[in-house]
Amino acid sequence: MLTTRKLLLLSVPALLALTIFFLVPLAMTFLGSLREGGTWTVNRYVAVISQRSFRVALVRSLKLGALVTAVAALVSYPAAYAISKLDKTKRTLLMSLIILPLMTNPVARTYAWFVVMGRHGIINQALLSLGLIGSPVKILYTEGAIAVGLLQLFLPLMLLSLVSALENVPGELEEAARSLGANGMRAFRHVILPLSADGLVIGGTLVFTGSITAYVTPAILGGTRVLMLSTLLYQKAMTLMDWEGATVVAVVMLLLAVGLNVLLRRLRPQEAS
Amino acid sequence: MRAPRSALVVLFLTLLFLLGPFVILFWASFGTRASLAFPPEGFTVYWFKKVLGMRMFVDSFRVSVLLALSSTVAALALGIPAAYALVRSSFPGKSLLELFFTSPIIVPGLVLGFSLLQFFTAVARCPVASRLFLGHMVILFPYTVRVISASLRNFDPTVEEAAVSLGAPRWLAFFRVVLPNLRAGIMAAFILAFITSFNNVPVSLFLSGPGVTTLPIQMLTYMEYYYDPTIAALSTLLIFFTVVIIQLVEKTLGLSTTLGG
Repeated sequence: MLTTRKLLLLSVPALLALTIFFLVPLAMTFLGSLREGGTWTVNRYVAVISQRSFRVALVRSLKLGALVTAVAALVSYPAAYAISKLDKTKRTLLMSLIILPLMTNPVARTYAWFVVMGRHGIINQALLSLGLIGSPVKILYTEGAIAVGLLQLFLPLMLLSLVSALENVPGELEEAARSLGANGMRAFRHVILPLSADGLVIGGTLVFTGSITAYVTPAILGGTRVLMLSTLLYQKAMTLMDWEGATVVAVVMLLLAVGLNVLLRRLRPQEAS
Repeated sequence: MRAPRSALVVLFLTLLFLLGPFVILFWASFGTRASLAFPPEGFTVYWFKKVLGMRMFVDSFRVSVLLALSSTVAALALGIPAAYALVRSSFPGKSLLELFFTSPIIVPGLVLGFSLLQFFTAVARCPVASRLFLGHMVILFPYTVRVISASLRNFDPTVEEAAVSLGAPRWLAFFRVVLPNLRAGIMAAFILAFITSFNNVPVSLFLSGPGVTTLPIQMLTYMEYYYDPTIAALSTLLIFFTVVIIQLVEKTLGLSTTLGG
């Protein structure tokens, strides 16, 4: 066998590349957010947090993240359950359809919602021809539009997590619960839910962190007025040229994403990688 | 045991929600009106012809493909030896190294893109093309390590040891015995990394520059100014591109191998 030292030499190029082009830039952003005029300070954080636009974006990101995660979980359980009961051919076909939004060019995917939610889009046309509204209503550039776009993007992640979790729940257990008199709801609560909780936690973390850090969906469907943390970061950095403020927003996003992943690891230390 | 009807209804509605917009987009991209409206009037392939003839999209498509190819190959060149080292060795702190190698997935792309822009501006000035290449290499690396590690774990190390004990030098055993057995894993990692790079927005958004812009960024820029169905036609083409790739993956490797790595 090769010695550990020789083996480790093989990972040195990767280690160097990641250190220089990943760790150092992130460390510079993080440390830079705490430096001003040669001293350490939290002034920038105070300045950014005192801005209403930042607080609105932060609360909106957390709110939409929670909403999308909750809806994704509610919808995915029955859908994933139905998939897990199908035969292998049908299941494979469905899986390849489900991952389409994940694998598609994000601008193309989000643009599709324009045709649905735009002023002359399908929803407005339908409401108009039914006589429910007199003139087109604004659907795009709202929190609702962003939530719908995020749900389409991240629902597949929850579905995939739950399908693989439910596949591992032995069907006999559920049948046993049923034959002992439990109805569908009780069998779900006491047998299926506890045995698939892992998939729910993993899927939930992916959906939530994905939602609060996504860029393209809020950029296209929220526009420049309904900002989330990501679109605020971009606006500060590239439109307002406020790099110091952008740095603070970047660190907040970084801490949220890393914090949630650490939490997930704590909850399930063995498989979280 | 079969799923109850209500669960099947939810599944059907979920699929409608996930895929419906693509069908509507497909339909709208053949409309004759110069603004996006529903239902589309008439039938034309004008927007498809137009988009295929537009320099900005053709050029940025070329940039995206070249970038995806080069950064994928680089990520594999770093990732294959790194995965080999991780799977075959055991030492204290190994899980920490594994965590470091996968951490670019955890960090939000936009934060990495912004940090890299600051880094390249302040410390390491270099051409736009190489900034994009390095940024993409970093975000693709974790995927290659994951997928290759998974397929290395399924490969019996005693086969390699047999080759060595029969006199093959280490490097020859690696290239003749280990690498051929990783073929499926490498293909899976390649496709996953290629798509990830090809579709990336957050990192490219900050690192693109004059003359070197990737396709998704060019599309975002175009959308700020124009509302005609050009982007619908381009999006339709890209969605077909994705469907073909998913089919290829499914046929050659199986989706679970690729996604579950």
